[in-house]
Amino acid sequence: MNGTPVIELDGLKVRLGRREILHGITCRLGVSGTGKAIGLLGPNGAGKSTLILTLLGFLRPSAGRASILGVDCRHSSGDARSRIGYMPENDAFIGDMTAVAFVRQMAELSGLPPEAALEKAHQVLFHVGLGEARYRQLRTYSLGMKQMAKLAQAIVHGPELVVLDEPTNGLDPAARRRMLKLIAEMKNEQGMNVLVCSHLLRDIEQVCDEAVILKDGAIVQQCNLEDERRSNRSFVELEVTGDDSGLRAALPGIGAEGVPDGHGRWRIVLPPGVGVDAIWALTGRQNLLVRKLTHRRDTLEEIFLKAMGHLAHTPGEAAGNA
Amino acid sequence: MAVYKRGYRRYDGPLTGRWARFMVLPRYAWRRLYQQRLVLLLTMAAFVWPLLCAAFVYLTNHTELLQGMDKDFKEFIQVDGRFFSIFMYVQGGFAVFLAALAGPSLIAPDLANNALPLYFSRPLTRWTYALARLTVLVGMLSVVTWVPGLVLFGLQVGLAGGGWLRAHWTLGAGMLIGFLLWLLILSLVAIASSAYVKWRFVAAAVSLAFFFILAGVAEMIDEVLRVNWGHAIDPAWTVNQVWCVLLGVDVPPYPSLAASATTLAVTVLLLALVIERKLRPVEIVS
Repeated sequence: MNGTPVIELDGLKVRLGRREILHGITCRLGVSGTGKAIGLLGPNGAGKSTLILTLLGFLRPSAGRASILGVDCRHSSGDARSRIGYMPENDAFIGDMTAVAFVRQMAELSGLPPEAALEKAHQVLFHVGLGEARYRQLRTYSLGMKQMAKLAQAIVHGPELVVLDEPTNGLDPAARRRMLKLIAEMKNEQGMNVLVCSHLLRDIEQVCDEAVILKDGAIVQQCNLEDERRSNRSFVELEVTGDDSGLRAALPGIGAEGVPDGHGRWRIVLPPGVGVDAIWALTGRQNLLVRKLTHRRDTLEEIFLKAMGHLAHTPGEAAGNA
Repeated sequence: MAVYKRGYRRYDGPLTGRWARFMVLPRYAWRRLYQQRLVLLLTMAAFVWPLLCAAFVYLTNHTELLQGMDKDFKEFIQVDGRFFSIFMYVQGGFAVFLAALAGPSLIAPDLANNALPLYFSRPLTRWTYALARLTVLVGMLSVVTWVPGLVLFGLQVGLAGGGWLRAHWTLGAGMLIGFLLWLLILSLVAIASSAYVKWRFVAAAVSLAFFFILAGVAEMIDEVLRVNWGHAIDPAWTVNQVWCVLLGVDVPPYPSLAASATTLAVTVLLLALVIERKLRPVEIVS
């Protein structure tokens, strides 16, 4: 079903008790069968998990509709769920089962015949790096291993869409890198569509092709990260000592925009063509002592800051237009 | 090729049917249950009484072995409704303890480990999940209740002949229906207590307490208020009344059959309601 959006929301409203969490969201995300990753970003309480739970059919929309791969999530939730794999945010497993038995059972529940389920369970556990520990009971696993086991059960049946809720939660840097590599492989090598829900911009930026930013239950930004990457903006994390009250007003002078984080910490977005030397010069003119300066190419940080209302406009955009 | 040398590839083979998927949970659950020594021991112990009953059936059909016995005694040992009701009391009792032992280990671990979102993110509804768990318990308890009961019935038919079957076929049907009703109540109580409490051992205690405490409360109501409807709240008592009707033996006069049937129906509905409220993939705090 190429051309069908992976996720389609039409005026979606969701209430939990008397509180409305999602306020009439409308969007089309991804294209089925293209093997792309969609990032779902937002601060805590923005409605990311509520949206995922609604897509899975766990929560009932109070108005509007949501569909996955062209299938209505509410009225045909069984069909929708047979085509997706879900990795929840929190610990979710069956403690007194071995990883192989657990993943095999989940594969059989998704419709794999017992022999195929056993073979796939072994394969996928090796794939996520739990091959040597696959006969251990899940309750003996470390947090990182449990995350990998959750990923294994989500992809064992080869779903068209994999929904990952905070996949790098609680992982050490090495495990985080491995998780992100696996996600990239899922879309690039297996052609799976992936929906990654996270509050970590770096994770989304690293693996996603499209991003949606939620704030207070509404979409505040939707962007194609491929296009944004071409805009070549960069991002600076700065820490200074001294009176930095004039810095915000001075930044537009070099075409940059910045947000103070308190205690001399700043997040600054540089427009294309402006180097870090401009920041050094500016801090010198402001009589500020630079304690830390991290500079990297960035796409999402600026988009996120703008979506959250911290930045008034995109640095360099006015100059580009002019 | 060894499995670790093969890279992961998406599965694109045939899928199993709905019935095969439904049976996945019972298959895994039965395997895990019979790995528990206590469950196995109790199941084996539950076969002692059916074996004794089988010997009794054999004896009643071989009068030559009873030569020299008192005439009254010969008349006393008959395979009739009373015989099957006693068989049902004993096996029904075993079923209570087996359900309390096995029931909580089916759902409580899933709730404690937050496994429900994993199940329900697959093509499995809450009711299918509950029905699958019910199947596990009913299937397991069937092995010690109506299955040996029907074997005894068949043994009696084989020994006594077709005439006995024509005259007493209602005993077989009544036993089957009566046991299935009891197994439904037991399984619902075990599942509901397991879903409500979450801790396996506490759920087992609640499951047992449900029957013993309600029996005690029913007795107290009758004694303290000097009424005769107290036992309507005791599910064991009301099921016993239904059994007596089905097997054609003396029915306890109080409470009325209509009251018993109504309370049983209300009990089933309340237990189903508890299961419906508790078996959710996400807990919503309003």
